[in-house]
Amino acid sequence: MSIEEKLKILADSAKYDASCSSSGSKRENNNGLGNASFSGICHSFSSDGRCISLLKILMTNCCIFDCKYCINRKSNEVKRALFTPEEICQITINFYKRNYIEGLFLSSGIIKSPDYTMNKLIETITLLRCKYHFNGYIHVKAIPGASNYLLKKLGSLVDRMSANIELPTNNSLKLLAPDKTQDKVTKIMQTIKENKSKNFVSAGQSSQMIIGATNESDLNIMQMSTNLYNRYQLKRVFYSAYIPVNKDRFLPSLKMPPLKREHRLYQADWLIRYYHYKIEDLLDSNNPNFNILLDPKANWALRNLDKFPMEINKVSYNDLLKIPGIGPTSAKKIVSNRKFYTLEYNDLKKLGVVLKRAKYFILCNGKYFISNEYFNYNFIQNHLLLEDNIDKKVQLCLFNE
Amino acid sequence: MNNFDVYLYDGSFNNLLNTIEILIKEKIRPIKIVSEECLENDLFSNIKKKTLSRNSIFLKKLQNISKEFFKIVYDVYLSDKQNKELIMYYFILNGLKYGSKIIYLRKLKCVNEALNVSNYVRREAHKLKGFVRFRKLETNFYLAYISPTNNVLGYLANHFKNRLANESWMIYDLKRDLLCIYTKNKYIIITVKDLEKNDFKFSSDELEFANLWQTFYKTIAIKERKNERCRMNMMPKKYWPYMIEMSDEIEKSY
Repeated sequence: MSIEEKLKILADSAKYDASCSSSGSKRENNNGLGNASFSGICHSFSSDGRCISLLKILMTNCCIFDCKYCINRKSNEVKRALFTPEEICQITINFYKRNYIEGLFLSSGIIKSPDYTMNKLIETITLLRCKYHFNGYIHVKAIPGASNYLLKKLGSLVDRMSANIELPTNNSLKLLAPDKTQDKVTKIMQTIKENKSKNFVSAGQSSQMIIGATNESDLNIMQMSTNLYNRYQLKRVFYSAYIPVNKDRFLPSLKMPPLKREHRLYQADWLIRYYHYKIEDLLDSNNPNFNILLDPKANWALRNLDKFPMEINKVSYNDLLKIPGIGPTSAKKIVSNRKFYTLEYNDLKKLGVVLKRAKYFILCNGKYFISNEYFNYNFIQNHLLLEDNIDKKVQLCLFNE
Repeated sequence: MNNFDVYLYDGSFNNLLNTIEILIKEKIRPIKIVSEECLENDLFSNIKKKTLSRNSIFLKKLQNISKEFFKIVYDVYLSDKQNKELIMYYFILNGLKYGSKIIYLRKLKCVNEALNVSNYVRREAHKLKGFVRFRKLETNFYLAYISPTNNVLGYLANHFKNRLANESWMIYDLKRDLLCIYTKNKYIIITVKDLEKNDFKFSSDELEFANLWQTFYKTIAIKERKNERCRMNMMPKKYWPYMIEMSDEIEKSY
C-alpha cells in the first residue's frame, strides 16, 4: 500500500476527533526542528470550517474493540492500514518544515493489546523527539487499559495527552462501547493530573464527548464536563455532534448531526469556564436542555432581567461579563478605558464592543439606547430572536447557492 | 503655514520619525505626509522635505513612553493604511503629551485609529504564521511566496528564525519585492527586483509531499459539516493562491 493510500485511510478515520488545538505549550527549539507557539497557530481551514493545526492521524485503524459508534470497530469491513513509526516521522518532519502543520496529533486503534499499542506509540514519539529532534507540538491519545508506567513514559514526551470519555454516563458507555469503561478513562486522567509539570503534558489534557448518540440531556452532559474540569483539571472538553457512520439498533438514525446543540454546549462550556457561571444558572431539572433559538447567556439574562440594565461605567468586571455580547476582551477594554473618561455608546463602538446584543442590557452614562420604556421582557426577547433569524436567513441563502 | 504643503520622506521608518519630529518641533500640523514611492503628481501642493541628521534621542524618547506604545507606532508604519503617516503623527504628538496612558485613550480619534491599525497588522502577521507555505528547492533551501496586505515580513522572519533555526529558508513578498533570506542563524531582508519564479528548481521529493498534503487536506474535512462561509471567514481568499492545498479550489471558483 502506498503512503498516500495509508494517509487517506488513517486521516479519514482520525477526522472525527474534534481536538486540533496547539496552544498552551512553551516548548522551545533546542537546536533541533521546531517549537511550540503558546497561543497556538491554525495552519489551514478545511471545507467544514474547522481549523487544521496538527497532522491528525491514527497509527492504525485496526482495532480489537467494537464500539458501536466508531467507524473503526472490529466488526466493520473497512480497509485497514498501519503506519510504521518511521513513516509517521517522515511525514511529520516534511510537513512541518514546509509549514503545513504545527505538529502531530496521533491516536490509534488498539492492536493486540493496550500495552502493545501504547509501546508502538511511545516508539514513534521517541523516534520523533530523539532521532529527528522534533520540538513541535505533539498531542497523543492515551490508550484506555494501558499500564501506568507506559502512560508516564508517553506523557513525558508530549505536550498534550488525552483520553476520550465518549459518553456522558457509564450506562451509555456500556451500551455503545462495551470494551471501554469510564474508570479506565478516568484512571488515565488521574495519572496525567498527578504528573503534570513543565516536562509532562505541559499543555494539559482534554477529552471529548459524543452528542446525540444517546438520550442524555444537556444537563447530564454539562454535569459530566464540569465534573471532569473540577476533578482532573482538564483544559478542554470537546463536544462532537454525532455523525452516523454505522447502522446499529442501539444507535439513532439522524439526517443531520445536531450541530446547533453542539454549539450551545460549547457556549455554555465557555460561560462556565470564563464567565463564572454555574450549571444551575443555565439549566435545571425543569429545563434540562438549552434553548435552540436563544444562546444560553441571553437566555439567562432574560430570566434575570431584574439585574439589568447595567451601567457600563459603574458595574464590576464580573458583572460586565454577564452582559450578553460582552466577553473578557470587551470587558477588559471597558474597565481600562473608563478610568480615564465616561463611556458613551459611540465610545463602546470605538472600543470594538459589539452592541447587537449588548445594547438591550446596558445603560451608557445613565441612558438606554432608546426610550427607557422599551426595557421589558417581550421587547428584548422579540428583538433578540429577530436578529438571530436575520442571520439565519443570510446563512440559508449562502448554503442554497 | 500653507495648507497645501506635502511632506516627503524616503519611505523608511527612521526618516519618517525624523520628519515627524521636526514637524512637531516646528509646531506644524501637516495635512499630508507621503513617501517618495507613493507621491502622485499634484499641481496644487507644495512639496517639502524636512529632515535633519539622524538623531536617536527622539527614538529613545518614544521608546521610553512605553514599549507597547512604540510597538504600535511601528505596526502603523508597517500597515497598508492610507494616511498612516498622519495617524502616526497625531498618535506620537499625543503620546508625548499624555505619556504611557495614551494607549487607553481611545476617545481620541488618532489613538483609536492607531490601535485598530496595529491590531489589524498583528492579526495578519499571526494568520500568516500559519498560512505561509514553503517549498523545498534543489539546493535544500525552503522558499515561500507571500503577498500580504500589510508588511509583516519582519514578524514572520522573527517567528521562523526560531522555528526553523537549523534550516535555510527564504520568504519572498511579491507585493513589495522584499526577500527575507535566512541561513546559519541570521536573516536579512533585502529589496529585489524581478526575481523570476522560474529561477528556482524544486527538490525531487517536493511534489510527493505537496501531494500528500493535498490528500490530507481533502480527507480531513467532514462532509456532513460542510461550512464554506466559516472557512472563508477564517481563511480569506486573498491567501489562497499561495497555499498548496487550495490550488484545486481556486480552479473550481474561476
